[in-house]
Amino acid sequence: MSEEAAGAKTGSRWKLSLDTWAVLVAFLFALLVRAGVFKRVPW
Amino acid sequence: MADVITVPQARPVQPALRFLRVIPGVLLLATVGYAGKLLEQNVGAYAKAHHWTFPNIEYVLWAIVLGLLISNTVGVPEIFRTGVATYEFWLKAGIVLLGARFLLGDILKLGGVSLVLVAIEIAGSLAFMTFLGRVFKLKPKLTTLLAVGSAVCGVSAIIATKGAIEADDEDSSFSIAAILALGALALFTFPLIGHALHLTDRAYGLWAGLGVDNTAEATAAGALYSDAAGKLAVLVKSTRNAMIGFVVLAYAIYWASKGQAQAVGNKAAFLWQKFPKFVLGFLLISMLATYHFFSKDQIGALANLSRWAFLLTFAGVGLRTNFGEMRKQGLRPFAVGAIGEVVIAGFTLALVYGASKIFGW
Repeated sequence: MSEEAAGAKTGSRWKLSLDTWAVLVAFLFALLVRAGVFKRVPW
Repeated sequence: MADVITVPQARPVQPALRFLRVIPGVLLLATVGYAGKLLEQNVGAYAKAHHWTFPNIEYVLWAIVLGLLISNTVGVPEIFRTGVATYEFWLKAGIVLLGARFLLGDILKLGGVSLVLVAIEIAGSLAFMTFLGRVFKLKPKLTTLLAVGSAVCGVSAIIATKGAIEADDEDSSFSIAAILALGALALFTFPLIGHALHLTDRAYGLWAGLGVDNTAEATAAGALYSDAAGKLAVLVKSTRNAMIGFVVLAYAIYWASKGQAQAVGNKAAFLWQKFPKFVLGFLLISMLATYHFFSKDQIGALANLSRWAFLLTFAGVGLRTNFGEMRKQGLRPFAVGAIGEVVIAGFTLALVYGASKIFGW
């Protein structure tokens, strides 16, 4: 959120917030799992 | 810690260089987190082999304790700090992926109950913290920051409010230090109290989500109790986080009406800007899982990815907590925060007891 505020202040329209990056990365991983790239994730 | 309290001035850095700068810290998070996981597996087995009575300590606690030890003894060298600060990124990515383990129906059912409790918690906490700030004669904007940090979502809420009400850097540093110190205490006290009161996973998860301020600490406090409690704590905390825009907007309008902050132009745009997007990601992944976009094995894989992301988060919680730095921020805001947190913890526990009676949990 702070990054968002900073982005708004500097007028950098295309700067993504930390939140948005986290969502994009999580969805990328979810798609890779769905596509079968990661078949099994050990824990 | 220092880079959390005193927000560093942003310098224009090339994206590639920025990426390289986070690598050492992320490796440190992974090392500390993985060491916690190894300790969980090996210490218990070693104690059992030697017939010692030793409590089963989960990786969550090991990772936090190892991080605390490093941060409060040798300290976190500068080269690691940018990467260690990414723990919030891993937290949010982990919460989105955790959505795969929730059915949308459960979220709507539990979310509906928690929404009512969250509304009561936020109203009660804001009112009580404002009252305490007046009693202790704190600066009004410092009181606002402490109230928002305690009522909604800790550090994120304080940073969002600071910009909206044009509070001093010093006030936000005080508030962040108080909220982080109290969050660290809650990590250890909430599970102990929960076990002492024999709370069910559901009641405890609800309480941790309502009573612990920072999302990372609420997630860790829930996971320290049980996996089920951890899941519910994340859901309730995310409901609280979703309220941030409304609370910050209300304070921005209040301070603007007093001529001490800029007026808010487009309120819908303001709400969208402050809304935590990871909550939407969490709901979307849950919807996809509910409608069988993922197979059972794939949901298991996503759940494990979420655990790895949380592993880095828990290491980061320990590594960024420096008690020496917190002490330097002064006692009065901490005292107000501490009294407030104790009362809010009692208040939210009473709410959870009430809900347990009504819903038969």
